[in-house]
Amino acid sequence: MQKILFQVFVIVSLCFALWFALSKVDWVSLFKLDQVADTTEKAMGTIFWDLYSKSALEITSEAAIRPLDSIVTKICISNGIDKRQITLHLIKSDEINAFALPNRHLVINTGLIATSDHEAELCGVIGHEIAHMELNHVMKKLIKEVGLSALISMTTGGGAEQIKEIARMLSSSAYDRNLEKEADIKAVEYLKNANINPAFFADFLYRLGESEPTNSQYFSWISTHPDSKERAAYIIASIGQQNTNFSPVLSTDAWDQLKGFATN
Amino acid sequence: MNFQNFAYEPSEHEAEKASNSYLMSLIAIIAGLPLPIINLLATLIFYIGNRKSTYFVRWHCTQALLSQISLLFVNSTGFWWTVSILFTDETVSGNYIAYIITAFVINVVEFIVTISAAIKTRKGIHVEWWLLGDLTNIICRR
Repeated sequence: MQKILFQVFVIVSLCFALWFALSKVDWVSLFKLDQVADTTEKAMGTIFWDLYSKSALEITSEAAIRPLDSIVTKICISNGIDKRQITLHLIKSDEINAFALPNRHLVINTGLIATSDHEAELCGVIGHEIAHMELNHVMKKLIKEVGLSALISMTTGGGAEQIKEIARMLSSSAYDRNLEKEADIKAVEYLKNANINPAFFADFLYRLGESEPTNSQYFSWISTHPDSKERAAYIIASIGQQNTNFSPVLSTDAWDQLKGFATN
Repeated sequence: MNFQNFAYEPSEHEAEKASNSYLMSLIAIIAGLPLPIINLLATLIFYIGNRKSTYFVRWHCTQALLSQISLLFVNSTGFWWTVSILFTDETVSGNYIAYIITAFVINVVEFIVTISAAIKTRKGIHVEWWLLGDLTNIICRR
């Protein structure tokens, strides 16, 4: 029996040693998996944004974009994120919505800005979407919903109908519960690092969760992100030690100007 | 792998059945690659069908079955890891690729050893694998 136990030990050890030795090789770089994923994401970003922009009215006015850009820049710089990789789009729409497309296209509707009572509320939603980008949730969601092979075939010109369906899904549906929570918690971290009060983000969710039934056709971001009150609760819980050294990203004038663009 | 004298000289019919137990697991490997449980089930069904057969046949059915049980653990882990990559947030990592290569090497070794055992037993030669042969000797009683 001892001989058999010894033999089992030797066999198992050999297998683990082989696995361990092979795991020391950088297979991801060797097979250029990162490069494939990167190329696919870039192609997806272009395809989806081209498609979405055809049916959306993009605001390109420097005066409207600049304050939003300041918010994104502040969050990025405070958290070591490369801002140059994020492409910001402001869309004229009453729908309260913001979403991330592949290759870091950040789309914000004017309806979201108009509904935000405080710039920190908007910062919270922007932080949440940046978290989705940073945590690679966009591509994870696509791969999960569509499959990697289908995505690669789209980048080479296949599946026009499927592309439309996925573009609609990306702009109007939430990630799964765990990814949403992960993005919320990450957004709180981003806000704290940028000296923006995360409590406003929780308040925003709670407020919109309360008023959702009466205006549900405009509440995309809330209605597709379930349990807003529960999210507000765990956001508050994750804030932890409160930093009181908060400072506004925009001047009062800049915020009012942005609100003006959004409401007119 | 050891070639030893068996307790008695197996007949032509016994040698054929014993050899088939290994071939069964080979056919199952080809058919059941994506679903590792198929290999085990095929060999298990063959084992149950021959459990009242002669000692030589039972002995080799048992050895073939044990090899499939050990492969089941290796292949199931690879299978479910792959499923989790396809359907959950899990991503392809260096560890995953290393595991798949390890599992592939183990499967290839097992495949070659099984073919060899099938040929030898067909000729009536008794083949005892390292570890699995000793285990079979404990499990399979005359």
